Amino acid sequence: MALTDLRDKLVADLGRDGVIDDPAHLRTYECDALTGYRVVPALVVLPRDAGEVATAVRACAEHGVPFVARGAGTGLSGGALPTADGVVISLQRLRRIIEVDPVNRRAVVQPGVTNLDISKAAAAYGLYYAPDPSSQQVCTIGGNVAENSGGAHCLKYGFTANHVLAVDVVLPDGTPTRLGGDAPHQAGFDLLGAFVGSEGTLGVVTAVVVRLLHTPATVRTLAADFDSTETAGAAVTAVIAAGIVPAAIEMMDNLAIQAVNEAVDAGFDPDTAAVLIIELDGPADEVEERFAEVTAVCTAATRVTIARDAEQRARFWRGRKAAFAAVGRLSPNYFVQDGVVPRTRLGEALARIAAMADEAGLRVANVFHAGDGNLHPLVLYSEAAGEHERAEALSSAIAELCVELGGSLSGEHGIGTDKACSMPRMFSTDDLETMKRLRAAFDPAGLCNPGKIFPTPRLCGERPGPYRPHPLESAGVIERL
Amino acid sequence: MKPATLAELRDAVRDTDGPLVVRGAGTAAGWAGTPLPGATEIETTGLDRLLAYNPDDMTVAVEAGMPLTRLQAELAPHGQRIALDAARTPAGATVGGLVATADSGPLRHSHGGPRDLVIGVTVVLADGTVARSGGHVIKNVAGYDLGKLFCGSFGTLGVIAEVVLRVHPLPPATRTVALPCDAVEAVDAAGRLLAARLEPVALEWCDGSLLARYEGGPSSVERRAAVTPGTPLDGAAEAKAWQRVGDVSEEQTVVRCGTRPDQLPYVAKHATRVASSVAVGVHTVAVAGDAEVERLRAEFEHVTLCRRPPGSDLPAWGRPHTAVPLMRAVKQRFDPAGRLGAGRFAPWF
Ligand SMILES: Cc1cc2nc3c(=O)[nH]c(=O)nc-3n(C[C@H](O)[C@H](O)[C@H](O)COP(=O)(O)OP(=O)(O)OC[C@H]3O[C@@H](n4cnc5c(N)ncnc54)[C@H](O)[C@@H]3O)c2cc1C
Repeated sequence: MALTDLRDKLVADLGRDGVIDDPAHLRTYECDALTGYRVVPALVVLPRDAGEVATAVRACAEHGVPFVARGAGTGLSGGALPTADGVVISLQRLRRIIEVDPVNRRAVVQPGVTNLDISKAAAAYGLYYAPDPSSQQVCTIGGNVAENSGGAHCLKYGFTANHVLAVDVVLPDGTPTRLGGDAPHQAGFDLLGAFVGSEGTLGVVTAVVVRLLHTPATVRTLAADFDSTETAGAAVTAVIAAGIVPAAIEMMDNLAIQAVNEAVDAGFDPDTAAVLIIELDGPADEVEERFAEVTAVCTAATRVTIARDAEQRARFWRGRKAAFAAVGRLSPNYFVQDGVVPRTRLGEALARIAAMADEAGLRVANVFHAGDGNLHPLVLYSEAAGEHERAEALSSAIAELCVELGGSLSGEHGIGTDKACSMPRMFSTDDLETMKRLRAAFDPAGLCNPGKIFPTPRLCGERPGPYRPHPLESAGVIERL
Repeated sequence: MKPATLAELRDAVRDTDGPLVVRGAGTAAGWAGTPLPGATEIETTGLDRLLAYNPDDMTVAVEAGMPLTRLQAELAPHGQRIALDAARTPAGATVGGLVATADSGPLRHSHGGPRDLVIGVTVVLADGTVARSGGHVIKNVAGYDLGKLFCGSFGTLGVIAEVVLRVHPLPPATRTVALPCDAVEAVDAAGRLLAARLEPVALEWCDGSLLARYEGGPSSVERRAAVTPGTPLDGAAEAKAWQRVGDVSEEQTVVRCGTRPDQLPYVAKHATRVASSVAVGVHTVAVAGDAEVERLRAEFEHVTLCRRPPGSDLPAWGRPHTAVPLMRAVKQRFDPAGRLGAGRFAPWF
């Protein structure tokens, strides 16, 4: 009943073309890019502005109906997965760049604007928006805020959280508010910082104020081949230990290289065990000095190719950014995992993953943000051959391995639906209950994107996996109580 | 009370009745609202151990009562530092205190503040719950980021017990150039330096000079300094110029406020002295008296009172910004009985 009433109310307020309720059309909203999870929502609304978002959220709150915001649906953790009795609030019609302010180096944009369109609008002033997820041509800034998205260049520049000055949000009861301010100084708690990365569970973003940076004066890029992922990992550590902060250090293993070479003409050596793409940017002198140091540190490389021009650099990046999709050529199906290990344990992590893959009888390709220790193992499998469950188990085991090595379940894709059941591996009950206090402060009724981040008995069975102590706890360095 | 371990801290919070107030080294005791009298003081300076440091991972975990200067001394032999240079650091400010006040210095231009450097926290809530968030890796989006939430919480949400920070390399060389200019010119000059893509690590306008500091390789900083308008400062003059920036915090009445960068001239008009991170719009402002504080608050939403003369009855916070109701809701969930830091956010709650 509530849903019928709600639909009528939404149609009255947003107009017939602001509400989708026919089953065929609703199906296009049943999943994000983690396509294994699918739920057709009861309704989809397409608000045209912040006022209509508030109207829609308030109506859901009044009817006690759960809702989830949706940007481009490129999320990889099932963050935008609807509930069957709930509403999807699509931000696709809020795609206006409200203002680019070159004097104060910022832009005000609606949440449905794509990440790349911000940089395109800023380009006229020599400015750009720094965080660069590989999905930047399609993913929205609202989704980026929700996921605290990263990208290859976050090693030097930081993540979404470091580049957002303020957000306008509609709170889960329909109240509009602003978090953050005109500058990175807030009077009181950093509610903006708590909101960014909250995976759509604390409210719906209706505008974002982002910082813009001047494009760097110089960019230098090299691709270095190594005879094993271990030696490549050691080179990453050596670069960082030399006090160098590259803009990016990305690694691909042989399987990933093979896939990429088939998909695009990136020119990587098909026989090398691993390649590192290392990029430095900044003032010319500084980059030249540091680039010389990087090449000196890469002595273990079997071959170093320095991009001679922008075109060759673009080719390296085309290869890197095409890697996920290219892996589709090697295997009918694959899972993308996203975990983080302390950088010094990269070699160990890759060796353990290889061993686990062997044991499972599956192949794993690695393409990742090596500078941050942010792994993206791609578990290749075939649905047709009935390998789904084995592959899923391997993928989860890899994420949990990251925690065991002192890292994290997710570096950028989020917990969402996908890894909620693994959260107790990383956090104790008290940790999670404390996080839920924050959620309850924003959303006492629990209607805003329910079922994400936190393990629930329904999702995980009665007993989610047990908490295991952090390695530093086991070593007696830190104590939990 | 001065607990020496996390367990002692937890017990102290749980087993003491009535209101509590958290104190680090006391270097920001005058910030924000005055705690109501009668609260039991919990001092964190007994929690001052280095917990874990692996230079190659560029992360470090410390107990919250560790003074930042001591932490810097531990990191320096490894060619590393915490990229945080709040003015109160030399006075002994603790890591936990700097996080709780969200304090920062000129390096905020390039590295942000505590919110951008903290990658994990352990906190003790008013009911004795011990909770962690984040972890020991720089890139991490698992769970809510309570470390950021506690930035600027002034001890009202819980006691920060442990902090994990990211570290940065110490620069091989630094160079500062001083350009005499007024506030209007400072905004323009800062914009031009950024447009020239010279990447200063700090751009601070103070006492009629725009200070641009470069860090990096020796020849690169020299060349960048050479093309920057103004006078390159030698070692002693450089130290003195940055000392003056820090000194602004020592004036009688001081606020920290955030504005659009081009609003600096308005801020400066109401100030006796300003240390302004001009390109990001965060200013430490010394003013003549309460009336000027009120004027800044009338114009800007995010103003934090850092220092006022003894006996001043100026309320610590001005008109509530739009997120204050949400702050109250968070406070209610974390500390329903209102035990922690009562008075710090008066008159907001
Ligand atoms: C090929 C590919 C490459 C990728 N590469 C990267 C990468 O390099 N780095 C990276 O970090 N991620 C990457 N991703 C993941 C994804 O693109 C990001 O998480 C992105 O931020 C999601 O944006 P979206 O607009 O698609 O959000 P959606 O998938 O629609 O939603 C994601 C989450 O955000 C919430 N949300 C969306 N809009 C709003 C809003 N306005 N208000 C509140 N909550 C909202 C949703 O409820 C959901 O929880 C990649 C994905 C793909 C498919």
